[in-house]
Amino acid sequence: MPASAVLGCGRHLPARTVTDEELARDLGASGARLAELTGVTRRHHADDGHGPSDLAREAALAALASAGLGPADVDLIVFATMTPDIAFPGSGCFLQEKLGCRTVGALDVRAQCAGALFALATADRFVRAGAAERVLVACAEVHSTALDYAPRAAAVTPYFGDGAGALVLGAAREPGVLAAVLHSDPDRLERFWCEFPASRHYPARMDREAYRAGRHYYQLDAAAVHPQAREALVAVTREVLARAAVPAERVALFLVHYLDARVAREAAEAAHLPGERVVATAEAAGHIAAAGIPIALADALAAGRVGKGDLVCCVAFGAGMSWGGVLLRL
Amino acid sequence: MDETVNSRILGLGHHLPERVVTNQDLTRLMDTSEEWIEQRTGIRERRFISADMGGADLGERAAREALREAGIAAGDLDLVILGSLSPDIDFPGTASLLQRKLGVRGMPVMDVRNQCSGFVYMLAVADAWIRSGDARYVLVVGAEIHSTGLDLSTLGREVAVIFGDGAGAAVLGPEPDRRRGILSTHLHSEGRYAEKLMVEAASSRVRPRVTEEMLDQPGSRLWPRMEGRYVFKHAVTRFPEVIREALAHNGCTTADLDLLIPHQANLRISQLVAMGLELPEEKVFNNIQRYGNTTAASIPIALHEAVQEGRVRPGALVCLAAFGAGFTWGAALMRW
Repeated sequence: MPASAVLGCGRHLPARTVTDEELARDLGASGARLAELTGVTRRHHADDGHGPSDLAREAALAALASAGLGPADVDLIVFATMTPDIAFPGSGCFLQEKLGCRTVGALDVRAQCAGALFALATADRFVRAGAAERVLVACAEVHSTALDYAPRAAAVTPYFGDGAGALVLGAAREPGVLAAVLHSDPDRLERFWCEFPASRHYPARMDREAYRAGRHYYQLDAAAVHPQAREALVAVTREVLARAAVPAERVALFLVHYLDARVAREAAEAAHLPGERVVATAEAAGHIAAAGIPIALADALAAGRVGKGDLVCCVAFGAGMSWGGVLLRL
Repeated sequence: MDETVNSRILGLGHHLPERVVTNQDLTRLMDTSEEWIEQRTGIRERRFISADMGGADLGERAAREALREAGIAAGDLDLVILGSLSPDIDFPGTASLLQRKLGVRGMPVMDVRNQCSGFVYMLAVADAWIRSGDARYVLVVGAEIHSTGLDLSTLGREVAVIFGDGAGAAVLGPEPDRRRGILSTHLHSEGRYAEKLMVEAASSRVRPRVTEEMLDQPGSRLWPRMEGRYVFKHAVTRFPEVIREALAHNGCTTADLDLLIPHQANLRISQLVAMGLELPEEKVFNNIQRYGNTTAASIPIALHEAVQEGRVRPGALVCLAAFGAGFTWGAALMRW
């Protein structure tokens, strides 16, 4: 059975940055207060008319270039997003066209904040099963058009940013995906969800009552979700390392992905991870659900924090609730 | 590492809402006729929900039946995949709602959003997870509630008459005999035609992505839009192309095929595809007459009915093929 490895990685953040001060007036709180609520001080917002596939195109081209490959070399696209370009078809189809790939499969997966890990694990299975040789894993979000810019969302909206990250996963002699563990538990999914548009809502999936109640905006009960996230991130870090039989000391970098970077840091501390080798993905530019992990990996590679042969442990927790861990050898 | 195995469908299930909506019923809502609909699409009736109900509700019924047929408990599943273009809620995916209805937790669940090709894409995913040794039992469910997102006025008639609600499910597991089960899967996409069949809103590229004006304006972005001629033209080309690709990959020809189950997009497309491949009527299964187009759910519903009717014998060479919005298309060839 062939092994799979990360051949390239890239990211793209829209040029427009939005500070807490810029959000302050709409959200009815000072910039300092928003930072205190969410830990985020700046994020990027996509240009009007740009969807995740536009951001993913830039990230994908960077990832392909770093792998010494071009769009024609891709034989499967796996696209992870929770904010698709349009309701359907999926963003993977738009990306196929924007990159000029052959008419390869464009699989769109939905696993919210853990989407990158679900997509990466799926790509790894395609390569190892011999069903694909070079898979483009594209992860992108445009949250900014979905958010509520009103005071009731002061503790939600500042968390989120737009951006894209991409990986090229390909057949390799030495395994580069050492372990992947994924979990879901739907019990309290309403703590972090967005209900509308809702096909289950009869007779129409969107109506005035739901609209006026703001039920098409993200709802987040942070006080309830944070402890659940903290606990799951600690457990899944241990689980993925144990699965690969790799002690934490040998890991060069831990990417801890959760919408609140402070909770991610607490989880890393509780798992006894060395702080200087931890990146809480939301620290740089807010929470970019499916894209936070590949963006952080691309940044770490560009900064020389990690390189060929290094072990990188990626863990994520988010809506669903879905979470997971992937241990990579670069 | 384990020897590579194939994956195989161990059990199937399907479930449709009780409410039957005939072509005649539609003539009361829009300017159309029974004959026009049947002549153009082959559809005589479809099912619509009649109260709040989601793809997870229909999917649960289908999934429990598939699990029972497979002799597998929900708790033994290693992965749950749900395909839909009409998700129950915005996020998380409908798979999470299904997982809760099945009363299980811990295993990963995810949605696959590949429209009419959703079931073939999901089979490819399930097959990869099983053949790589990372999963033993995988549940795949196609579930759609189209009826709450259709413009049932005359303006929306070209699209609205086609779609129906429903769910179909399959449980897959390992098959040690390399000559049985899923032999190969083939996936394709061509995004230059993405807007030929789409629902635009909620669109993250539109700021803000949902507005009050969208709710009931004529031709709202919340309703599906289709340029039927494009879809038809590409479908009758891509269907035979990918079916031949799957057969050739396995050293087979159309003469070896025992049963083709095309995604139930339009009976006229299925008939043209069968004619082009020179497949006799008894080698193609269609049930769109009764259910309309249930997108990601159509193949498992049809496959289950075909099995129940004794149309799929052990050892039969079966091809599942789909084409639809994206455009995406694909095929899975399996030895039953």
